[in-house]
Amino acid sequence: MARHQVMQLPAMIILGLIIGWTFPKLKIKDLSWGVTLLIICMASLIFWMIPRSIDMTIVYPSFNRVMHVNMLLFGWILVAVFRCIIFEVKIVFLLMVSGMLLSSGITLRVFKIVLCSSFTMEQQRENGFYLLIIGLTIFVVTIFLFFRQLSLLWKEGSKG
Amino acid sequence: MTVKRLFIPLFTLLICVLTLWKWTYGFNAFTVFSHTLLESGQTPRNIEDIALINQDSSIFHLEDKDTYILMNFVYLNCPSVCHKINNRLENIYQELNENLIPNKLQLLTVSFDMLNDDISRIKRHRAYFGDNIKGWDFAIPYHLSSDKLNNYLTDMGIWAKSAPESSIINHSTYLFLISPEHKIIKVIDPAREDNESIVVNLKSWIASDESSL
Repeated sequence: MARHQVMQLPAMIILGLIIGWTFPKLKIKDLSWGVTLLIICMASLIFWMIPRSIDMTIVYPSFNRVMHVNMLLFGWILVAVFRCIIFEVKIVFLLMVSGMLLSSGITLRVFKIVLCSSFTMEQQRENGFYLLIIGLTIFVVTIFLFFRQLSLLWKEGSKG
Repeated sequence: MTVKRLFIPLFTLLICVLTLWKWTYGFNAFTVFSHTLLESGQTPRNIEDIALINQDSSIFHLEDKDTYILMNFVYLNCPSVCHKINNRLENIYQELNENLIPNKLQLLTVSFDMLNDDISRIKRHRAYFGDNIKGWDFAIPYHLSSDKLNNYLTDMGIWAKSAPESSIINHSTYLFLISPEHKIIKVIDPAREDNESIVVNLKSWIASDESSL
């Protein structure tokens, strides 16, 4: 389970991010479309975190392929949107992602019943632990980015 | 202009929420277990009748039974959960008074592992629970193909799939209360209910079902 949710899924997102970075001209400048794409990214991430979806990817290889492609596109779109979107939206999006990962991690960690039929209780708890770590890392990075941006704005304001 | 700019994200949000809503059966089923159960329909509902063979090699149909049946599905190679459920069923059996078992209610444990479980195995397994369980039968499907069994389980609301790279069969652990009219009248999730509440609920459901007839 940990291999699936904590390695495969982020690996495809990272691959998408790398591909996105190799296209410097790839930018979504319109705020409305940027937010729209972030909503789709968020919904797709939620979708693949649902225990039923996880089971389906294990049982049906075609479903697994769809997940891989979806997560690759997730990373690719994220780069395109994040290049131009306003700072507040970035922070809100990252906080939502970290919040979702933290809540998923806590759920998997504390639930005493097996949520994914393809995995054992131990794997579920272990997966919850790793999701908590990833969620916390993203949260800390987001908070760091938030305060760094605030200090930059503060410096610009005091100069002006 | 602002309305136009808001429309696209809001419409997308609506589509995304609807997709998740549909996928989770209205935000009610997040696991394959609960989804399969909800997909099989609301109770009370009729169930397909299949032939079963019990530990005494006696072939029977649920339709032939004139008592309520508390039915669960297991496989005997299960490393943990099936045995836990059966141990709990033994306690439930002992807690239900003799007026109810076996005259009004009987327990039936069905193994769906047709490759490994046979009559001798279920007989041996049943013997672990002692001699004083005359209202509790263990059975396996009789002359049923694997495809038909899978369909039967799905119709019942049971998810059962072999885990990859292991001999484990992951499956739902629901208990089904079946009426003498051959309808599932209640589904119990033993992972969420303790023995005491199961016993209380069984008594009250059977009493209310009888009074409604």
